[in-house]
Amino acid sequence: MNVIACYKIVPEEQDIMVKSDRTLDTSKAELKLGQYDLPAIEAAVNAVQESGGKVSLLSAGGKEIDNSKLIKGALSRGPDDLYLIIDPAIKEADANQTAAVLAAAARKIGFDLIICGEGSSDIYAMQVGAQLGEQLGVNVFNAVKNIKPQNGAIVIERSLEQEIEVLEAPLPAVISVTTDINLPRIPQLKEILAAGKKPVTKWGLSELGVTVANPVEVVSTLAPECKERKQIILEGDSDDIIDSFLQNIRKEL
Amino acid sequence: MNKVSNCWIFGESAAALPDLVSGALELAESVDAVIVGDKTEAAKALQAGCGKVYLIAEQGDTILEDYCATIQALIAREKPRLFILKTTKRTRLIAGRLAAAARTSVITDITNLSTDGKTITGEHMVYGGSAHRLEKCGDGLCLALVGEGIFTGPPAPAVSAGEIIEIAFIEPPRKAKLLERKPIAGEAVNLAVAKKVVGIGRGIQKKEDVALAQALAQALGAEIACTRPIAEGENWLARERYIGVSGAMLKPDYYFAIGISGQIQHMVGVNNAKTIISINSDKNAPIFKLSDYGLVADLYSALPKLMEKL
Ligand SMILES: Cc1cc2nc3c(=O)[nH]c(=O)nc-3n(C[C@H](O)[C@H](O)[C@H](O)COP(=O)(O)OP(=O)(O)OC[C@H]3O[C@@H](n4cnc5c(N)ncnc54)[C@H](O)[C@@H]3O)c2cc1C
Repeated sequence: MNVIACYKIVPEEQDIMVKSDRTLDTSKAELKLGQYDLPAIEAAVNAVQESGGKVSLLSAGGKEIDNSKLIKGALSRGPDDLYLIIDPAIKEADANQTAAVLAAAARKIGFDLIICGEGSSDIYAMQVGAQLGEQLGVNVFNAVKNIKPQNGAIVIERSLEQEIEVLEAPLPAVISVTTDINLPRIPQLKEILAAGKKPVTKWGLSELGVTVANPVEVVSTLAPECKERKQIILEGDSDDIIDSFLQNIRKEL
Repeated sequence: MNKVSNCWIFGESAAALPDLVSGALELAESVDAVIVGDKTEAAKALQAGCGKVYLIAEQGDTILEDYCATIQALIAREKPRLFILKTTKRTRLIAGRLAAAARTSVITDITNLSTDGKTITGEHMVYGGSAHRLEKCGDGLCLALVGEGIFTGPPAPAVSAGEIIEIAFIEPPRKAKLLERKPIAGEAVNLAVAKKVVGIGRGIQKKEDVALAQALAQALGAEIACTRPIAEGENWLARERYIGVSGAMLKPDYYFAIGISGQIQHMVGVNNAKTIISINSDKNAPIFKLSDYGLVADLYSALPKLMEKL
């Protein structure tokens, strides 16, 4: 079984600055792999460990994703190789556009199963998996908390609001996994070193023969007005400190 | 206010309909529902104020996602301008599939949806709640996912000349086999209305220690809540009890955060609290910048002392 795991490179939320006009400045934010894509990568590696085959990673974005630290960070999680789709036109791609690009790449790579994270850490619309499956014309499911490969199919458990649903889905398929499907590994030095030797393929949109449409337009992205907090902070747990802390908060309780 | 002429609605359960209709009627002259079910349910939709009901008869041994092909064909034929779905995990998948077929993207997790009669704009949070993004739909189909508590208008009157249109089920080109369904017992808790809330995070080291915070909550008459990793991953508290951008949004009188670092995805859920109180052993934890009163201390020694003196 050949599995593709998708990830998105996102800015570290804690580093995002709010400017005086309430717009955001992400230029100083460190880049990282989406937090909820890590379980997707781990699930892909686990699935192939059971059934044999190959795990490829796939990510699309602007030129910032072509960064050796990020690439190693991804490949040190166990996959065999990585495909990057790099194009300025998809730096801020929405779900439909992202899926169109990933679909074209996945067709070119070949796959039995594609695993996406629950949602990207930045936009978190939880839509790329659904769009990708539909655009590829294959079975597609979200909220998957368990995967069992089973001759030409996968048995999956979906964690829905009111029920756990167990399905047997023929391959090829696209699934989005929950955050608690596994505990993603912390890559060891050996894995990080090995990651540097794994093949990385880079394509642009023209090589994939896709163009992206843009029916939904972003009008603005603004930080909300924030409440000022008093920030009266005490340190320690001596009786005196606890007493003053309690005195501070008592009128609020 | 100017409205678009027509809006479609869809929800996983019939209970979603009244809110959807009343919200959709703020945006559109008439509202039509897509219903998977039987005539009784279709009649209920008319009762709830829908002008038309597109009724797809429920098939045996299918899941709701298996009706996508039928709905896609219906959209292609009727070309609705606006289609609002009530957010659940299934409708998130369904909306995404409908959007892919219509070559557009869904505006998800909408906090505000509006129109001037021509353009439709939706607002939702991005970057874990750091910002609100306004998005404008193109001229084609606009797909919107709206969650609980956004449409809160009064129920709409029934439409007397309402009509039920039966739509033939289209067998999906591919399908999964349903092996089993196991109901999960959720917990009925409505944090959104709680006035006093004690929240716990990963500063709590093990499941037994949740009792420490529970005792405090009980002494204060507060609800107990948590960060996402405590409910999802650790499973120490029910999913209904986690606060944040992907969980519950609160506006309590106070929020008492214990062993919580104060990441934006969590804090956006309590930013509207009148007062925020926190205990954290790391004096550089972001939570202190977002607190009115903070205590830099190990919760394991501070909490028992605090309880004693309360
Ligand atoms: C797309 C997306 C959506 C998300 N949505 C949500 C959401 O809705 N809600 C949510 O909560 N999270 C959400 N998260 C996760 C969020 O980013 C954080 O990971 C999470 O809120 C952190 O939880 P925490 O504060 O419990 O844990 P940590 O960040 O690990 O913090 C634990 C804190 O406990 C303190 N501590 C440790 N030991 C002690 C002690 N003995 N005494 C006192 N303090 C101690 C530490 O100093 C630390 O500050 C989301 C993440 C993403 C990517």
